[in-house]
Amino acid sequence: MTFQDFAIWLSESRLSIALTDSQLAFPALESLHVIALTLVVGSIAVVDLRLLGLASRKRDASELIGSILPITWTAFGFAALTGLLLFAANPISYSANFYFLGKLGLLAVAGLNMVLFHVFAHRHLATQGALAPRLSGAASLTLWITVVTFGRWIGFTL
Amino acid sequence: MITTALLHFTQWLGGTALSAAVAGHFWVVPALQTVHILSVAVVLVGVLLINLRVVGLVERGQTVDAVLDRFLAPTAIAVLILAVTGLLLIAGEPTRALFRTVFWIKLALILAAGLLTWSHRPALTRAGGDGAAISLGRKGIALAALLLWLAVIVAGRWIAYVDAWPGAPA
Repeated sequence: MTFQDFAIWLSESRLSIALTDSQLAFPALESLHVIALTLVVGSIAVVDLRLLGLASRKRDASELIGSILPITWTAFGFAALTGLLLFAANPISYSANFYFLGKLGLLAVAGLNMVLFHVFAHRHLATQGALAPRLSGAASLTLWITVVTFGRWIGFTL
Repeated sequence: MITTALLHFTQWLGGTALSAAVAGHFWVVPALQTVHILSVAVVLVGVLLINLRVVGLVERGQTVDAVLDRFLAPTAIAVLILAVTGLLLIAGEPTRALFRTVFWIKLALILAAGLLTWSHRPALTRAGGDGAAISLGRKGIALAALLLWLAVIVAGRWIAYVDAWPGAPA
């Protein structure tokens, strides 16, 4: 089953029809999606700016990460859930949209960057001026800003 | 509510070079909106951490003063960027937001949320800034502030979905 097949199947589901029929559902989901995604990006920015040595410099990086990341993960859960439902409202159009597909790819790369951080960079957090955490922070910030940009471009290119 | 003044203002604004610059290129509005959303991210994480710290739910290892010190200024700067991008977006489509009630509700919500968030510093300096000394009333204000900020985002999204005032130009 290709992604296109899945999109066609989903477009005929009761969920999809209910979402397109309701006047309230889509704006409500969009609002929740914006709240969730801005919390993801905002909280990640706090961590990334610390990794880059640009903010919260007096604070221990590991401690900051431990305090902020639960917020990031909770917000990401809501962003993903609302995102899935938004997708379900118009699967065929979204699955053919360059910026939607690009956003999914960028999310995957951002996830990979996060894994790489935990495997390679985390142990160097205590080292002043270490390169790995800075690269991770810069990559993360760039990726997430691009995710938001691509996300906004979807609505203008459907 | 469509006053002659507002109508004349939007007609004038729509004829400016600024308006033409924003409306004239496909990418300008989405780019402005992207900067707008990224600024929302700065504000939202800031007011979340500030207000939930006042309540005592997050960042308990930090003093309230430390959280205010770290996040109030960036939040205020981000609000300024939101105002600038917002004004540019209005310049590009003068009759869109200004002739919809939900936009004016959004502005009122921003004022209320901003004032409540700003009030934590003077209120808590008097109390000593210690977590245990924060009154239930102050925590209620913090929760209200956060909910108002979330309502700002909802009101903003709703601009695209509500009808303009009767008689409003297209």
